[in-house]
Amino acid sequence: MFFTLLKKELFVEFRSREVTLSMLVFGLSIILTFALSSNVSPTIIANYAPGMFWIMVLFVAVIGVHRTFSYEKEFDAFSMLISAPIDRGFIFLTKWMSGFIFLTIMEALILIPFFKFLMIDFPLQPWIAIGTTLLINCAIMAIASLVSGIAMRARLSEVLLPILLFPLVSPVIIAATKISGSIMVGDPYSFWKIWLLIILTVIVIFGLVGYTLFDFITEE
Amino acid sequence: MLSVSNISKSFDHRTVLNNITFHVEVGETVIIMGKNGAGKSTLLRIIARIMACDKGEILFQNNDLLNGSPLVRQKLLYVGHASAMYTILSAIENLQLALTLRGTPVEISRIQDQLNYYGLTNQSNDPISIYSQGMLQRLKLAYASLASWNLLLIDEPFSGLDTEGIALVNKSLHRWKKLGKSMMIVLHNQSRAEELGDRILRIKKGLIA
Amino acid sequence: MKPFFNNKKNRSGLVLIAAMMLFNVWNVIMNTPMVPEQHWAQKIFYVHVPSAWVGFLSYFVVMVAGILFFMKKDDYWDLVGLAAAEIGTVFMSLVLITGPIWAKPIWGKPWIWEPRLTTTLILFLIYIGYFMMRTFGGHIERVKRYAAAVGIIAFVDVPIIFVSVKFWTPEIQSHPQVEMAQQPSGILIPFLLSLSIFTLLYVLMLKYRIHVIRINSRVRADV
Repeated sequence: MFFTLLKKELFVEFRSREVTLSMLVFGLSIILTFALSSNVSPTIIANYAPGMFWIMVLFVAVIGVHRTFSYEKEFDAFSMLISAPIDRGFIFLTKWMSGFIFLTIMEALILIPFFKFLMIDFPLQPWIAIGTTLLINCAIMAIASLVSGIAMRARLSEVLLPILLFPLVSPVIIAATKISGSIMVGDPYSFWKIWLLIILTVIVIFGLVGYTLFDFITEE
Repeated sequence: MLSVSNISKSFDHRTVLNNITFHVEVGETVIIMGKNGAGKSTLLRIIARIMACDKGEILFQNNDLLNGSPLVRQKLLYVGHASAMYTILSAIENLQLALTLRGTPVEISRIQDQLNYYGLTNQSNDPISIYSQGMLQRLKLAYASLASWNLLLIDEPFSGLDTEGIALVNKSLHRWKKLGKSMMIVLHNQSRAEELGDRILRIKKGLIA
Repeated sequence: MKPFFNNKKNRSGLVLIAAMMLFNVWNVIMNTPMVPEQHWAQKIFYVHVPSAWVGFLSYFVVMVAGILFFMKKDDYWDLVGLAAAEIGTVFMSLVLITGPIWAKPIWGKPWIWEPRLTTTLILFLIYIGYFMMRTFGGHIERVKRYAAAVGIIAFVDVPIIFVSVKFWTPEIQSHPQVEMAQQPSGILIPFLLSLSIFTLLYVLMLKYRIHVIRINSRVRADV
């Protein structure tokens, strides 16, 4: 069932491309704003780059996750999922997984504009950077999918989602900025081990909580 | 088959359903009637586990429907007002998905057959966002005839249909009735209700009148 | 439903706790030793720390009420959750007000990203979202389930927030009162006393608030 649901998420997105495309365009406009609101010079930006990157990712994640839940409301499609004889935790897991995939695709596409427009050097250890980024995406999306699942049927869901999400996700953002900052300057693993642990904790805890809670919050 | 006891539901403290209790026997067709806003659809959505109720208990085939495992609702099919399908997917894709999620996947050829029967031959590969009200209604009926169920909850099956469509739906409902399947149907038309139903439940002011 | 203070037990509880609170204030002002470099500023910790304790306790109650609400599907636990969320937020505001009052003379600036204070601020913001959800989210039968879920994930997040904020600014020291057990008994005993009185006050406030919210929802149901 998990794969049926995941296939549906990916197929719907493959058809419409509305989630990834809106995430990408929104991300680009955020980069533009960053670049215009600061004097782009390698010395200044290098310090802020990790923070900027993760702020952008967070904003973009909100757009994406809101969209993946709101198309479920058209034609009452969500009731096909929740009335089906399947564990609703799977709905959370597939929303989480697909959100993770869309976010990763969007990041892959936006990486070059981000580094080039803001004149940042690529990290010295690209594979470590990619690996940690994937884990951070996973953590952000775990919380974002859960909060979006809670807020989707509420009025003002587009407002409530970021208001609830940003404080909840703050540990991930701190950890993400620290990890990326360390990797950019080539710090050894021992420097950022603790942050990786925090990311992993978030993935495990919010994965479990989301899986459990979805049974109670998906009903109208 | 289905035993509903003391179901209550309010919206912002306004009671819509007030301690609703009734049973549906095996093979019985129960018609639900009542004014607009009487809570007919709400009742069906609660039984289908799409909407949460405030209190009450529902047994389906002697299993706890509200707190039991999801598999309890396997032989329960809800066909609501909205199509409950993805606008961007075609009729065939939607039916494939919905039937797979119910644990009873069906081959494309059979799906196409049913779509032909309900007069959707040429549109079966179009995204359902372009469907008219009547076409969506036919699609939902095709879904109901492909899915395997013991109790069908269907909300206004005749709405938006032309005469030909009405005849088709009428035929299907009678066929299912003959097969001894249980159904709960929300209807507005008194004569049709008397013709189809073994029993009529009237909901009035949140109570069964 | 009878007014809350018609009940003799509740009335005597109120009188007792009010008396204890007055005693507490007097005790803190008159009977505790002055800490050399902080003078009067230090006294705020007899309010600040108990408020933080009650705030976190209250948010813990919100989580427990949320879990019980989902398990028992009983509206009582929704009332408890809402009451605890409100009171918790009141005490968290006290923490966020008293923190800077202390910090200004001692650190020279009202706000430093001290881990406990930062955690409090983040949690406070989550609860602002919680109340917005309650207020604007739609009809209450639906929103109460979402609120219970938010209450659960907010508290689950607390240890993660705290650890991350702590390592985020390792150069900022936690405030000196953190190691309370090592304080001289002249400070420790009045502090523990204040903590207990605040906790008793919390229990009474929670009971009262649950009562009021219940009447409120009954009145609205009758209209």
